[in-house]
Amino acid sequence: MKTIELNQPVTAANDKDAELLRASLSDSGLLLINLMSAAGSGKTTLLSRTIRDLKEKVNIGVMEADLASDVDALSIEALGARSIQVHTGGCCHMDAFMTGEALAEFDTTDLDLLFLENVGNLICPAEYDTGAHKNVMILSVPEGDDKPLKYPLMFEKSDVLLITKTDVLPYFDFDLDAVKERVLHLNPSIRIFPVSAKTGDGMDAWEAWLQGSLSAGEAHA
Amino acid sequence: MIPVLDVKAGLEAENEIYAEEVHRFCKDRGLFLINLMGSPGAGKTSLLTEILDHLGADHSFGVLEADVDSDVDARTVAAHGAKVVQLHTNGSCHMDARMTLEGLKALEPDLPQIVILENVGNLVCPAEFDVGANLKLMILSVPEGDDKPLKYPLMFTVSECLVISKMDTAPIFDFDVDRCLSHVRALGNQMPCFPLSVKTGEGSDEFLAWLKEVVA
Repeated sequence: MKTIELNQPVTAANDKDAELLRASLSDSGLLLINLMSAAGSGKTTLLSRTIRDLKEKVNIGVMEADLASDVDALSIEALGARSIQVHTGGCCHMDAFMTGEALAEFDTTDLDLLFLENVGNLICPAEYDTGAHKNVMILSVPEGDDKPLKYPLMFEKSDVLLITKTDVLPYFDFDLDAVKERVLHLNPSIRIFPVSAKTGDGMDAWEAWLQGSLSAGEAHA
Repeated sequence: MIPVLDVKAGLEAENEIYAEEVHRFCKDRGLFLINLMGSPGAGKTSLLTEILDHLGADHSFGVLEADVDSDVDARTVAAHGAKVVQLHTNGSCHMDARMTLEGLKALEPDLPQIVILENVGNLVCPAEFDVGANLKLMILSVPEGDDKPLKYPLMFTVSECLVISKMDTAPIFDFDVDRCLSHVRALGNQMPCFPLSVKTGEGSDEFLAWLKEVVA
């Protein structure tokens, strides 16, 4: 079997923008979390549940990045959280410049935590530092347990892996232990939380991690 | 005045030229090229092996496996009797026409009758790059949700056939085929749609019969 190498690795030109943005967010004490995953793995559902569970304790805002449409931003607003819709105009990822541009349009003064819901894509968002303090990724059970083998960069770049839709585990050949082993092999320091936003199973561990990051002053790091 | 360079337009124009070349390459050699697209985990490889198992007796198949990295899919597909070339895009999130041409040439000299390009798992970028295929086939899996045409409109606009996969899981997900299709039709796309499950076999026959007609 032949294997052809097609491209040289892409160098992210926006690292400097990202460092500046992170520093300015830290100055204002706002924790920015970049949430990434494939299309349809449950980013918005997870965010909605997290907001519902924590909204009495934490002021959460959401920056919704999409190619087009505003269906997600409307779902978030319906929960009473503040959101801003970013249209990437066909671009497949957010970068630090776009994030900074959107932040300039968004009143974040009383927010503790801001989620950037990145474009649904397991590839390009991993290559672009958005200036976030933490990268959180989602892998949903129906996508399959081989994804760390096929999209390794995303798993390498993330601080947290949320394995979502665990309520459907009985219906899929998804080996949770095999995934954990593959992911930890790529990234030994990643935190892994299996959750179901539908049943609420496992959500407390993830939410405790979030609150820990806030009280540890990660934004000021 | 400061000159403005539209880099993207240049890229697209270059891709168009290569897409024409791919088209010619296929036409001259009587080869039918299918560009198979879908999210990671939508079931591209499972559908591909289903096609190989059912149409493999009547046609010779080649497969171009495009991946960011790894060769897990290529090994699976080779086990189903297709001639396989693994393409590593090295981080690139889509195939373009130039890469496709390279892949097709790697299948020479014994070119198969049908070549399936399994594109990188991604609902965004592959939609922007015409690879010069005879058929753009896309997969949406039930667990991804029926709102995807709203959120990734370009993919659902350029595709020429929609397979809705993992239909056996429809009862546990809130997926409405009619609602999904109405979003697709609202984009002005009248492409045929086949809800199926490779696991249970439901709906597979209709899709395979349609495909047989198209490649004939």
